[in-house]
Amino acid sequence: MAGILIYSDKDKLARELLTVAGLIADARGWEVKAACINNARQCQLLSAAGARVYQIENPAVLPADAANVAVALKEACGKLDCSIVLLSSDRRGRELAGRLAQVLGAGCLTDISAVKVEGEQIHCQRNALGGATVATQYIDGEKQVLAIVPRAFAPAPDRDGGSIDELQVEVPPSRIKLLEFQAKDSSSANIEEAPVLVVAGQGLNSQEDLAAVESLAQKLGGELACSKPLATDKKWLPEDRVIGLSGKKCQPDLAVLLGISGQVQFTVGIRDARVIVAVNSDENAYIHQMADYSMVADLHQIVKELNDALA
Amino acid sequence: MDFNLSKEQSLIQQMAREFAEKSIAPAAKQIDEESKIPEEILAGMAELDLFGIPFPEEYGGADGGYDGYVLAMEQIAKVSGGVAMTMAAHTLGLGAISAFGTEEQKKKYMIPGCKAKHIVSFAFTEPGTGSDPKQITTTAVKQGDFYILNGTKRFISNANYPGAMVVFARETESGEVTAFILDKWAEGYSISEPWEKIGMHGGQLLDVYMKDVKVPADNLLGKIGQGFPILLLGIALGKIGTSTAALGGTLAALEEASKYAREKTHRGQPIAKFQAIQLKIADLAIKYETARWLCYRLGCLANDIKDPGKFAAEAALVKAYCGDNVVDAARIAVDVHGSYGLMRDYTIERVYRDAIIGPEIEGVADMQKLIVASSILRSKG
Amino acid sequence: MNVVVAMKQIPDLQQIRIRNRQPVLEDIPWTMGAIDKNALEAAVQIKEAQGGKVVLLSAGNEELEDTAKEALAAGADEALLIIDDKLDEMGSAEIAKILAAAIQRIEKIDLIIFGEGSGDNYSGQVGSRVAEILGLPQVGYASAIEVQGESLRVSRSLEDGKELVEIGLPAVITVISGINEPRIASVTQILKAGKKPKEILDLSDLALDLGEICPVKTESNLAPESDRKRVAVKSVDELVAALKGENLIGR
Repeated sequence: MAGILIYSDKDKLARELLTVAGLIADARGWEVKAACINNARQCQLLSAAGARVYQIENPAVLPADAANVAVALKEACGKLDCSIVLLSSDRRGRELAGRLAQVLGAGCLTDISAVKVEGEQIHCQRNALGGATVATQYIDGEKQVLAIVPRAFAPAPDRDGGSIDELQVEVPPSRIKLLEFQAKDSSSANIEEAPVLVVAGQGLNSQEDLAAVESLAQKLGGELACSKPLATDKKWLPEDRVIGLSGKKCQPDLAVLLGISGQVQFTVGIRDARVIVAVNSDENAYIHQMADYSMVADLHQIVKELNDALA
Repeated sequence: MDFNLSKEQSLIQQMAREFAEKSIAPAAKQIDEESKIPEEILAGMAELDLFGIPFPEEYGGADGGYDGYVLAMEQIAKVSGGVAMTMAAHTLGLGAISAFGTEEQKKKYMIPGCKAKHIVSFAFTEPGTGSDPKQITTTAVKQGDFYILNGTKRFISNANYPGAMVVFARETESGEVTAFILDKWAEGYSISEPWEKIGMHGGQLLDVYMKDVKVPADNLLGKIGQGFPILLLGIALGKIGTSTAALGGTLAALEEASKYAREKTHRGQPIAKFQAIQLKIADLAIKYETARWLCYRLGCLANDIKDPGKFAAEAALVKAYCGDNVVDAARIAVDVHGSYGLMRDYTIERVYRDAIIGPEIEGVADMQKLIVASSILRSKG
Repeated sequence: MNVVVAMKQIPDLQQIRIRNRQPVLEDIPWTMGAIDKNALEAAVQIKEAQGGKVVLLSAGNEELEDTAKEALAAGADEALLIIDDKLDEMGSAEIAKILAAAIQRIEKIDLIIFGEGSGDNYSGQVGSRVAEILGLPQVGYASAIEVQGESLRVSRSLEDGKELVEIGLPAVITVISGINEPRIASVTQILKAGKKPKEILDLSDLALDLGEICPVKTESNLAPESDRKRVAVKSVDELVAALKGENLIGR
């Protein structure tokens, strides 16, 4: 019996992968196997969610070295008889996906936001043409590497039936030396987790106006975010607050978009929000078409009034 | 006939647009208010070869032809008429040296010119000449290996920058109008305060005073008495610049009016929904497209001038059209803005003031039309 | 230091229109992907500091010769282009094999740089696949690259932190757009781009063994349907009331 293997170096994303793996495994009568590399805590977490966990302990397998992780997972696939591997489509996972697919001779899709099993095919949705379209694609073949967008699926709940076994893998010495890892300090923004995002775009007149926008974000119980030019061209905000194709893809309950025109490279990062409010002085701005509530007005005035109204 | 840009042409256009939007546009209001172009903008333009586009590489140019020059200048002029005017006058001066200079003169003056270490001037107009070269009173007296120049030139672009100036004077021995290359800042060279003009601020016009300025005899441009053909070609080349500056202004008028029409609302509707506004936008587009293809064609013609007289008539036609056209376009765009269009906070206010310059410099529109008419009537006659 | 920069020719995304949820790609000009410009700039900066050359590598349809001029103008010294209209239909796995086969034709390569993902598909696989085919180590998502003799120090930017790693050469690096500000090419550079050395191959010139490939098939590719309410709100009071109605404020 073939199987499906999941791997992510991040505990939470690994639990999300279990959910997706469950969909596929159920349809095929397979079982879900999970590889954990040098991470005893994750073994426990995944086994608690009902996965058959294979614990790989080998200091030569560094998460920073996609090549070695790929070799380790290839060995795991062979020993565990798995033809489909699910990875998280964060930066580490996406880098690994291509490498692993090549090692396995597998087809590969990354940035998958939805999965549907259609007979023999696993239909995956992902953005295409820079986000202008959403493509439904599948891999025609047995060997598949699928990388799933973080937070697209709920983490798997606790369930019985889990187990933990050791798995030996051999990898060559790593050609990457990790010199330093600087974790983001906890005060930095985590816009992907925020229930509310207030997003500033190029309609914002000056950096000074950000204070009022941030205050609005706080009043709404959320975080301040921005479109790419505000971070990369104007440098008014750090890049970890950028929403869009090359920034974060967020699904808050509420997104308030201020002075955003609505280029697809941006909207692809926010179009899954539950409720979207757009404020833009240009009535023809595309953003009004993808908003639940839209105001054709000067954003500075609206921010002031909203701050007063919510005070 | 193929009206598509080549890949190179569209890259030149994109490059100039990117530079204009990133580096000039943010300073455009300041340039207008202070009548001065920041050093770093000139340096940035120099780095991109925008001061030597049509000239051969051996003289420091980019070998991009006048078609490349027109494409780049249009984008610069769209964001700042003053910067465009500086670029136009400079390129015209270099164009005269390129066409008539000796090998030594080209090496000496074009290389630093193309690299914008020098900003070049072209000085013909005098307080008493108007557009009639016969009235030139500046004199050049031969004295050994030098000519001694005396006289006053009026409304000279770029006279405030160091570099070469092509200057027209009456050589006293022959009594003929003759061109010289003069080093600005030579002893005896002085300038007035810049004229305070209505628009294109930053492109400064100054009066130039020459008192016993010693010009080496080697700096004679062309031959003694060759002043008229040099002037004819120089002014014709200059019209590529002034026409394209007007084209850029027309594009600015179209873009500003369209932007305003989409953003400004009346009774909850953007004014772009009203047919009265839509008709104006269409008129602006027509004005832009007609001027655009005239200028692009003129640029192509300038790459290979076989008959300077014929080219001068072509240039006069384009200049007559584009100069008046930009004024009409700016006026329509101001209309779209209503009263707001008169306010300094709105870009169109500056575009309008810049536009007025168009028909008046480098020969007024009526002069151009006379040149066009005479070329037609003469050839048929 | 000889650096290969891989570029993907993509349709100009700004100009893509949607009609009946279908993307309209006719008459859309081809252009160099945005992040590829950062990859090129990174390569040019390394070359300027270390000497050597920058080779542009790209595979695409017949427009590629023109599109490559953008990169040649912006600092690539020469180009190796694989031009074949069949390439537009190919997926990451095939393209990676083609690029790797082409790289093997170039003598003495120290470094291969990719953008983190292509501007259109943003799959981010090709760099990793090429590294695996060539048996090279890789570091993705570089925000800074520093050459230190025979190795590189690469800062990489991850969701949860920044990592500094050392990697021996030759290697494959992918870069993020924040790594640099690509330079604007001058008129001279633009006009000389077409005259720089280039080698053009078609697929039959490469000794290709596409081998075992599980290809990606596309069922559909449509603009997302928007089911937004699209309520035009006239005042802040109205907006606040609406958000209360959605249970989003005043909870």
